[in-house]
Formats: sequence, C-alpha cells, structure tokens
Amino acid sequence: MSEGVSPSPRGTRPGFSVNTHNLIGGLIVTVLALFMLGYAFYVPNTVIPRFMVAALAVIGIAVAIGLLPVHGPRDFYGGIALVLLPAVALIASAELPGQRGFAFGPGTAPRLFSFVLAALGAAVAIGGVFAEGPPIEKYKIRGPSLVIIAILGFAAMIRPLGLVPATFLAFMISILGSSEMRWIESTIAGALMTLFCVLLFVYLLNLPFQLWPRFY
Amino acid sequence: MSDLLANLWLGFHVAANPYNILFCLLGALVGTLVGVLPGIGSVATIAMLLPITFGLPPVGALIMLAGIYYGAQYGGSTTSVLVNIPGEATSVITCLDGHQMARQGRAGPALSIAAIGSFFAGCVATVLVAALGQPLTSLALLFGPAEYFSLMVLGLIFAVVLAKGSVLKAVAMVLTGLLLSMVGSDLETGAGRMTFDIAELADGIGFANIAMGVFGFAEIIRNLELPPESRDILKTKITNLMPSRQDLIDSAGAIARGTALGSLVGILPGGGAVIASFAAYTFEKKIAKDPSRFGRGAIQGVAAPESANNAAAQTSFIPLLTLGIPPNAVMALMVGAMTIHGIVPGPQVMSKQPELFWGMIASMWIGNLMLVVINLPLVGVWVSLLRVPYRLLYPSIIVFCCIGIYSINNSPTDVSIAAIFGVVGYWLVKHDFEPAPLLLGFVLGPLMEENLRRAMLIARGDATVFFTRPISAVLLSTAIILLILAGLPKIRRRRDEVFVE
Repeated sequence: MSEGVSPSPRGTRPGFSVNTHNLIGGLIVTVLALFMLGYAFYVPNTVIPRFMVAALAVIGIAVAIGLLPVHGPRDFYGGIALVLLPAVALIASAELPGQRGFAFGPGTAPRLFSFVLAALGAAVAIGGVFAEGPPIEKYKIRGPSLVIIAILGFAAMIRPLGLVPATFLAFMISILGSSEMRWIESTIAGALMTLFCVLLFVYLLNLPFQLWPRFY
Repeated sequence: MSDLLANLWLGFHVAANPYNILFCLLGALVGTLVGVLPGIGSVATIAMLLPITFGLPPVGALIMLAGIYYGAQYGGSTTSVLVNIPGEATSVITCLDGHQMARQGRAGPALSIAAIGSFFAGCVATVLVAALGQPLTSLALLFGPAEYFSLMVLGLIFAVVLAKGSVLKAVAMVLTGLLLSMVGSDLETGAGRMTFDIAELADGIGFANIAMGVFGFAEIIRNLELPPESRDILKTKITNLMPSRQDLIDSAGAIARGTALGSLVGILPGGGAVIASFAAYTFEKKIAKDPSRFGRGAIQGVAAPESANNAAAQTSFIPLLTLGIPPNAVMALMVGAMTIHGIVPGPQVMSKQPELFWGMIASMWIGNLMLVVINLPLVGVWVSLLRVPYRLLYPSIIVFCCIGIYSINNSPTDVSIAAIFGVVGYWLVKHDFEPAPLLLGFVLGPLMEENLRRAMLIARGDATVFFTRPISAVLLSTAIILLILAGLPKIRRRRDEVFVE
C-alpha cells in the first residue's frame, strides 16, 4: 500500500496525460491487482472478487497510460485500496459456509461488510477521479523506515537476545531516523531508557522477561 | 435519590482504597505529563499503557486509564499558556488567549483559572455521570438484539458526522474496522475466518496491536516528518498564581457556560472534548459585550474552553458505561481495556459490577481534586520537562511500546503486526483518512455482528425487523437523517468551516 512514491510537484491537471506520478501509482495498482487475480484462481468460489480485481487492474493501466485523468489522487488511491481490501477479504472468506436457513454462517457477515466497503471505496475513488483534490503528500523514506526497522528488529531480537540488547538496539536504530541525532547523547539516553524499562517491566511489574542472550 | 447516594457512597468506598487512590494519582500524573508534552496524544498514551494495566486489578486499571484522559485535559492547558503550542488537541483554542495572558505577565492567573474551571467542570460532570447512569442503563436493558444493533449503527454514524473529515471516508473506515475485527475464529461456529492459515491470526488481530500501531507508531512516524518545532518557553518566572477577585468574577459565568456546553457535547459520540472546547470559545465570543478582547488575553477565553473540554472528557464516559458504546477513540481503548480484563461493557456492568462502575465515577472526582492540588505547584516541573527534545523522546516511546506489546502475549508476532499497522496508519493519514473510526468499528465489530446475527435469527431471516420494531426504526431513521444532513452541501460547508477553524 505505498503507491505514489514520487508525486509530481505539479499535481494533476486535466489534459495532462502521462506523468510519472500517475505512471507509478497506476502500475502499483495494476501489479497488486494482478497478483491478487492470480491468487484468486487458486481459491474456488471467487468469481466476484476475480472480477473486482480484474477491473482494478484495467483501471490501473488506464491511469498509468493517462487514459483516465485523476484529479484528486489522495481520494482516488485511498478509494482503490478500500476496494482491494474487501476483495482480499472476499477471497479469504470464500470457503466459509454462508447462510443456512435463518441462521448466518461464519462467512455471511464478512461478505456482507466486504460488499458495502467495496461500494464505499468505489465511491471514494470515483470522487477522486472527478473532484479536484490535493496531490499526495511526499512520503518520507528515512525516518519512517528506520522506525519500522527498529520495531521489527525488536520483534526479531527479543527472543534470541533478551530484553536488554533488544531494547538498546531498537532505541539506537530508531534514533537514527531523526535528522538531528548525536552519538554520545543518544547512547547515554539509550542506556538510561533500557535501564528504566528493565526496572519497570521486570522488577516493578514482575514480567517474566529474559534479560540477556541465552547460551545453550 | 437515596439510591444515588448509596451508590456514590459505595463508589467512594472503592475509590478511597489506598491502592485505587495510588492508581488514580498515577493516572492523573501520567495524563498531565502527556498533556503537557506536545506530540503525544492521550489516545496514543492510553494505547501504550494498555499492556501495563494487565497485571492490575480491573478497577485499578480502569481508574488509572480514566485518570490519564482527564489528566491530559489539565496538562494540555499548561503548554498552551506557557509555550503557545497546544499540548493536546483539546487545548488548541486555549493558546489564543492563554498565551496572550502569559505575555502580559498573567500566566499564573491563566493557569489557575484553567485549573479551577476544569475542577468545577469535573465535579459537575461526575454528578451528571452518576445521575444519568441509572436511567440510561434501565433503558438499555429493554433493548433486544435488533435495537442494540441499530443503536450501535446510530452511535457510529454520530461519531462519524461529528468528527472532522469526509463522512464517506469515515464510514469506509468504520467498515474497514468491522472487517478487521472479523479476522480470527467465528463467535458461534469457531471456524477460522480470513486467517490465511497463519496460526497467530487464529485468535484475531489483537486490539492493542492495532491501537498501538495506528495511533502510537503512526503518530511518531508522522511527527518525524515535521520540521523540529521551536519551543519558545516563556522565561518569566511565574509569580502570583492566585487569580484576583476580578478574575474570578469575570470567569465565573464562562466556567458555568463552558461546563454546560461541554457536558452536553461530551455525551454525543464524536469529537467530544475537542468540539466542546471550540464550541465554548466561540459561544463566549458571541455573547461577550466586547468580542474584540478575545485573542488579546481575555480570561473568559481560557476559562470557557478549559471547563468545556474537561466536562466533555468526563461525560463521554456516559455512553460507554451505560450503553456499552464507545463515543470516541479514547473510549474505544477503554472498551479494549475492559475486554482484556474480561468485562463486557454495556448496561450489565452497573448491575453486575457495581463497585467497578461507581468506583470509577467516584475516582473521577477524587482525581480532579488531586489534579488541582498537585498541578499548580508542579507547573515548574512540567515546564522543565518540555526541554526534553523530541529526538530523545520518540525512540523511548518506541521501545516502550515494543516491550508493552510483547508483554501481552510474549509474542514477537504481535510486535510485527503493530509495526504493519503503523505503516497502515501512516498511509491512512497521507490519504486523509481518520484512524479513529477504524478503531471504533474494530471495537464494536464483534458486538455488532453478534447482535445482527441474533436479530436475524429471532426474526427468522426477515431483514425488515430493523424497521418494524419501533425503537430500532427510530434509531435507524435518525442515523439515516443524520447522514443525509451531513451530506447536504450547505451543512457540509458549515461543518468544514467549524473544523478548519
């Protein structure tokens, strides 16, 4: 869900056919939709979602080559994502039994809500095609990705390395995301925060954490 | 009446337990801290602290979380007055006159009037919560599944219409939340739904993971993009905390009106405290003899919004405690906290767990009293905290969140799921989607589905039941009328103006 990586500074104007923004955004939509179309063919009973994602793929191509001028990209791609999501949900719940007699089956409610959401998503996207809207804000790469790496890193380190190294390393990785980071100050702050967390979670709240790496 | 007194007595008995007083104090202090620090909202904080409340007894946990919410309303005003940066969204409007007062060397009276106003509002709202609890609960007990479903629909629509941003997109977010809540085992048959055969998803997506990702992590990522703000802290020493006689006379009316307005707005689902403070300020300006004084340090411009946001923060507990319907994101988190402790929010809480219900209400009054007593002397401490730069603050928050999520189930997967929702939350903000309705939908999802299924089963598969049962029909048609009203061009423009201001 990261289309529009490099927005055009001009935004999108009517009559402006191919620009990089639409090309990239449209291509991402197409690739995601085709990927899901392929997946849907492995799951039985998915005729409707197959049509949904196929339509999205076509729309993606139309946007990429400038056939479909998008006036409000924020709403447009937002709406497209909200059609993709229920399509995934429909594929994922395709094999669940539906209504039996008067009773809802486990699959009824997910399908019901998926269809409503897809309709709303389509409405948002259509609004984005016709109504003039602001261009997509630039996505920053450095800060957000370092923060996410720090969190995922913590998830990966906590079991094998234990609480102390995982906390300290996650702190150091995430602090790299700031544009004004200083090494000495950061190291001290990281050590203090690690100490604080150990005291709070392990000694005060008595949670069963393993503190240091375990050597077998 | 004697019932009410007896119940309040029970409540104070519970709240005055030394442990609960400690939790209340802790919550109020953390809330104030969060309120003071810009860039960390009360929603994010409550999400972060959810895991920690696991080990606590349920009453203590909820008392503490509630304390954070109203404590933040107090703390937010401090930053607004002294630094001209709102510490909380609810005190944006306090900046206008509060900071002007500080510039004129009247920071002390501004802060103390804000505290006094908040305290008064808190007291009134506490009584209101207690008084409205019983009748609303007995009303809710008359509801069958069809009515309950319609009520939830109405609540969600209200929340969407009264919040900022496009109504269409907000409804879409609610549905996204509903859909996400269905991942995991089916309530009735136990069949795994939309789990993609991932074992960790069999139990569903954890509430804390979504909340922490969408509110905590996404907010931090978002803040990293903003240029570092200059925190121009007022250097003048705060002398003379006490407001003069004239100040008290001037602001008495504003406090009363702000409290009334705030209590009213707070009960309605939606923006709650934020709308309340804006509405109160606008109202004061409208009825003032000399509106031009506003924006130049009028004490009413501090008193009214600060009373209103505190009143609204507290009365927004009413729909949660009586009907089990969270009116805003903070209350959705409270539902999460209750569910974690095995309490099903709703009308039955009051009869089944009176000590929890009344204890929490009584603790609000105690908490407000503590806030007045501790806050004013501590202003200096709070201000010095503002000197901690954000570049050191955010990594601390991140590791704190990570440990918190991990501690819920000892599951690294949960941490990764929260990271994914952090990215999702960031993406949502980039496309002008509000994350709060998503959380509301997610929290209400299982309840809504259960009642929908039950109602359909009782009606033998007849979907018109929602319109043939009178109460349900009224609730649903109100929801539809609201949606149509919000869609009308004229009202839409007015609504945009209100939220842009």
